[in-house]
Amino acid sequence: MKSLNKILIGSLSIILVLSSYNGFSQAAEKGDLNVAVNYFITNNKVPQLMVKVNTKINGKFLNVGGINLKLFLDKDSTGTFIGNVITNEKGEATAYIPTSVKAEWATSSKHTFLATFDGNKKYAPARGDLTVAKAKILIDATSDKTVTASVFEMKDTTWTPVKGVDVVLAIRRMDADLTIDEKPTFTTDSTGKASGDFKRDSIPGDARGNITLVAKIVDNDQYGNLSIEKTVPWGNKFVPVNTFNERTLFATRNKAPVWILFIAYSIAVSVWGVLIMLVFNLFRIKKLGRDV
Amino acid sequence: MENSIVKEKIVKDVLPKNADSITEEKIIRDLLPQKFGKWGKIWVGVLVAICLIGMFAYYRQLRYGLVVTSMRDYASWGIYISNFVFFVAISLVGSLITAVFRLAGVKWSTPLTRIAEVIAVAAIIFASIIIIVDMGSPERFYFLILYGRVQSPIIWDVIVITTYFFISILLLYYPLLPDIKILLRFKENTGKRLYKFYSFIGSFWKGSHKQYLLNKKAINVLCITIIPVAFSIHTVTSWLFATTYRPGWDSTNFGAYFIAGAFLVGAGAVVVAMYVFRKADHLEKYITEDHFEKMGRILVLLSLLYLYFNVNEFLTPYFKMKESESAYLNGLFIGDFAHIFWFAILAGMILPIIILLFKKGRKPLPVFIVGVMVVVGAWFKRYLIVTPTLLHPFLPMHDVPANYRHYFPSWEEWAITMGSLAGVCLVITVLTRIFPIIPIQETLNEQHEIAK
Repeated sequence: MKSLNKILIGSLSIILVLSSYNGFSQAAEKGDLNVAVNYFITNNKVPQLMVKVNTKINGKFLNVGGINLKLFLDKDSTGTFIGNVITNEKGEATAYIPTSVKAEWATSSKHTFLATFDGNKKYAPARGDLTVAKAKILIDATSDKTVTASVFEMKDTTWTPVKGVDVVLAIRRMDADLTIDEKPTFTTDSTGKASGDFKRDSIPGDARGNITLVAKIVDNDQYGNLSIEKTVPWGNKFVPVNTFNERTLFATRNKAPVWILFIAYSIAVSVWGVLIMLVFNLFRIKKLGRDV
Repeated sequence: MENSIVKEKIVKDVLPKNADSITEEKIIRDLLPQKFGKWGKIWVGVLVAICLIGMFAYYRQLRYGLVVTSMRDYASWGIYISNFVFFVAISLVGSLITAVFRLAGVKWSTPLTRIAEVIAVAAIIFASIIIIVDMGSPERFYFLILYGRVQSPIIWDVIVITTYFFISILLLYYPLLPDIKILLRFKENTGKRLYKFYSFIGSFWKGSHKQYLLNKKAINVLCITIIPVAFSIHTVTSWLFATTYRPGWDSTNFGAYFIAGAFLVGAGAVVVAMYVFRKADHLEKYITEDHFEKMGRILVLLSLLYLYFNVNEFLTPYFKMKESESAYLNGLFIGDFAHIFWFAILAGMILPIIILLFKKGRKPLPVFIVGVMVVVGAWFKRYLIVTPTLLHPFLPMHDVPANYRHYFPSWEEWAITMGSLAGVCLVITVLTRIFPIIPIQETLNEQHEIAK
């Protein structure tokens, strides 16, 4: 029995030692990351890059946060360095193109943006790139409520109209943009223009009836994402009716309903009335004590 | 015949079992406030030391601002407010033991009334202090009075806390008057300073019939007044949360939920104090096993009631699991706050129910242990009411430093909180050094009633 125990203990010890030896275990495989670079330019101002990082786990794409990426313009070198970004919980990170790469930016009408990840304990190194041509978009609105967007591309040193680009003509709303009619996109003609009629007459605007029109190119293979806005007085004037101050105890001091104030003060006054009476009662007891 | 049986039963409930053998003189000597012994002095020394550390931390907070705390944009209420809610809750015991029991004709609670009143006064004092600590600069309290709007829940809180504090002082003072006369009689036990103090606050009490009637009437009025005020104070405290649209606070149930919890923690505090004073002052003849048995039953009832409210408060939202509340609820059930949440539920409610349902569990020591569990569980429960909600706003947190997403109190917050808890214990200790912890005159009256 004793020898059986010894064998058992010995076997268990060997199993434990072997199972804890790293040499027998495979090094965990590092995950692969997909890095996508997106280009945005709003109102023809400073271009912005948005990098999105995800990975595929069990057939599903999952966003990866906390990934440190280096962004470059055209080539991976010090003079073309745009900046370092770290992805958020949605796997996204954004950066404006800094003035430090202005010289490089001016050298060509087409550029490639690089996003590189050096790898970490969990993920292998990865990179993504995007090539875009310099372009701009303009918006015009006439009194007959026609909205026209014009798209131009930089060729050599001149802005040239571009034909065949899909443009969304829409109205900015709180959560999403609403197209100016039922048509989702309008295509530019040989003059680079795309026009549509505004058919949302009853849409509420601000207190003056102003609404914001937007013309945008979305995820275009050549130009990326471009958008431009214009404010027009085509909406219905919206004057919010708020009875909050008339019905609630939370209204500002002089606007609270009198009957609510009356109840609140009455309760406080009656309770404190009782307490004052009780303090007065103490003086009565004291007086009785003196009289005894 | 029936009346005499009832009277006999009341008398048995009221007095110690061997009451016949206790003379009036002996009762008074037993119940007079006692000087601190060696352990008493150590206890006071420790409490003072903790309070001093808390005061140093508060000095740092005043010197450098609220930045010394871990409270930031999201968790803008931390353990200060948890502690405030805890103190307000515990102070409600004054209305339960003194007022509700007195009005309901519960005679056996006589030896417990002063304990409850002292706890109520100490807790409400520190509830007021801790809310001023939470404001950061104390002059904000002055501005609150100067520019406060009666429409604001924080002003309701200021009004009800002040009112409740005042009532609690009166409810402690009025029943003390007859005892002060006794204390003045036993000058050799009190010392010069205390004698002067007793003379100042109660030398006018001669015990005449008219004085007795006025005193009795005042106590009755106080008992009636304190109940709605006590309900108001804690309902308003709950409304500080419930009037804010946030996950976990957006509940119509909050007033009743808070009051049920307050009565539970208050009763828990009383049984802890009962046990400690019984041991420290050798009051076994007055605070009997029967008192623990009865308080044990009350604790079971209150634990069941509070558990029921908790089921209501968490089970239905969990069943619906609205997207906007899911992060908050999962955080409580299985996330960052799960260990505190389940500790508060188990130690604060379920285990007390299981222990106290058995007769052996209602003996002094088990009841004391349960009382400690209830009080500790209740403190953490208040933390869970305040902080997780603030860390799970409806609109997601964007572009904030990582430490804004979590909250763990800084050492200054811990020191101030512990200082305030020690302060409550210190006030209770000092009050019991000055005044008899069991009402002497009422005990004597009941002795006479038995003798008849």
